[in-house]
Amino acid sequence: MTERDMLLERVAEVLKEPVAIDPDLDRRIMNEVRAGPTVRAPIGPVAWLIRRRVVSVSPLGGLALAAGIAAVALLGRSVWQATAPSAAPPSATVAATAEPTPSLVQFVILAPTAGTVSLVGDFNDWDRSATPMRPARGDGIWSVTVPLEPGRYRYAFLVDGQTWVADPSAPSTFDDDFGPPNSVVTVGGS
Amino acid sequence: MGIHDVTGESDGALVQRVLDGDTAAYAGLVSRYRDRLGRYAMRMLGNRADAEEALQDAFVRGYRSLRRCTDPERFGAWLFGILVNRCRTLGGRRARRQRTVVHDELALSRASVRDEGEQFALRETIRWAVAQLPSANREAFLLKHVEELSYEEMTEITGASVSALKMRVMRAREELQRLLSEVVHD
Amino acid sequence: MRLRPAIIVMTLAVAGSSWAEAQEPRLVGRLPADARLHVDAILDSARSLGLPIEPLVDRALEGASKQASGERIVTAVRRLAGELQIARDALGSRSTSNEVTAGASALRAGATGDDLARLRRLRTDRSLAIAAAVLADLVAVGVPADTAVAAVLALAEFAQDAEYLALRDNVERDVALGASPISALGVRVEANAPQGDFGATSSRPPARKP
Repeated sequence: MTERDMLLERVAEVLKEPVAIDPDLDRRIMNEVRAGPTVRAPIGPVAWLIRRRVVSVSPLGGLALAAGIAAVALLGRSVWQATAPSAAPPSATVAATAEPTPSLVQFVILAPTAGTVSLVGDFNDWDRSATPMRPARGDGIWSVTVPLEPGRYRYAFLVDGQTWVADPSAPSTFDDDFGPPNSVVTVGGS
Repeated sequence: MGIHDVTGESDGALVQRVLDGDTAAYAGLVSRYRDRLGRYAMRMLGNRADAEEALQDAFVRGYRSLRRCTDPERFGAWLFGILVNRCRTLGGRRARRQRTVVHDELALSRASVRDEGEQFALRETIRWAVAQLPSANREAFLLKHVEELSYEEMTEITGASVSALKMRVMRAREELQRLLSEVVHD
Repeated sequence: MRLRPAIIVMTLAVAGSSWAEAQEPRLVGRLPADARLHVDAILDSARSLGLPIEPLVDRALEGASKQASGERIVTAVRRLAGELQIARDALGSRSTSNEVTAGASALRAGATGDDLARLRRLRTDRSLAIAAAVLADLVAVGVPADTAVAAVLALAEFAQDAEYLALRDNVERDVALGASPISALGVRVEANAPQGDFGATSSRPPARKP
């Protein structure tokens, strides 16, 4: 019986974890709200049980106003049940904020007997046909030049549509998830 | 349209402001309840697109029918009831659109996966199991064990009797127990 | 309480099920049906934990491109998700996506969560993405993991990112020319931080000066 309760407790724990909601949803909701008629209390005596609160503009609000951003700063969460507030969702990791300028990176491989070679990796969604390589001078060297924004990319060469080959001139990864390891290229600038 | 710091403003106060014509104050209520309600919608409907649709729907309806909220200090609870309804409607619509259902068996053998990977596997399994529940039982389970409502509150929101709700929760618990019983202890 | 699933038998509803719809646009039409549900669930968990999604999607796409089985794809994505979580916990909740991703690579190369936490403490005001990536790259050319960790930590307080990259490039070149990885590393590190010997015998960085 205890085991069963522990299992269900674990289930509840997992289900109580916060869910990431699209931050743009608030804006879409308010747009739809404003698109319709403004809701007002009917004129005449209404039995409200609320005391009017004093509205104040916080210093933050003043700044936001200056920036032209409509925002409501909400620092606390009131849960409509008087229980402990649920934990705030962990802050999402932030992408690098530097302005990315792509660098041109040339990939080269020696494959004299190959009929086709393509470059496949993180930067082209591992699409086998997105980045075909071209034979350079007829001596078995294939190459392609690709613009890459700063970052770290895993990739491999696909020879004749069936053989995956790592780049002998690049560091390899430790990902043995799908057989032979890939290569990795780091493009600086971020 | 003003910018206001709504910290400490109760639901009732914000509702009052909206009804006085300050539509922007509704954004404060949206912000206050979006995550909590969004979690329920996500658990109930299982995918982000439907959850966000239900959420948006509920908030907009909440605004349009705000005058009918008889206890503005409990706006959150009232809005939650609207959301539960929207989720039912959305769930029903989707179920009717389903045509063929293909069943497949996938056996996952557990090779060496790191501890954290196991946590992810457990989460997936739990969410999958919850998705298998019939929607009425899933709804009751979520309201009871995730939203932690009392049966009285659940009756208010769903319109079902307390005994029916207790039955649904019990069935959900049994089904989850059954589905998750392949999980083996160390 | 630790629960370890042994064999999990799943029933999947494929056509028309809201749970089988891929949430991630890049995965639409790419994954085998049996992987879709699980990968979506992993992505959803990762999102709710604030972990970077892109590396997970990349891993799934790699598996699809290499025509791996659904099971293999799910295992790979799940494993990476675990590593991202460990990296993020070690590096702190305010880490950037790049740092967490690079941290996961370092873990795969043999660093531990403690190593990453130590790196964070030594280098609190700068990005750790390059340092962690260089750690993984050093191991990739044959430097033993604990030696690479020691080297990266020894430089953590003072080295710029460009120095880390130069270290890596120089070691790679020396190894390509025939030097042993450890000696190649030792020569380069001594030039930067003459505090200790980073030959095969060291396993932890030297104690920091108070």
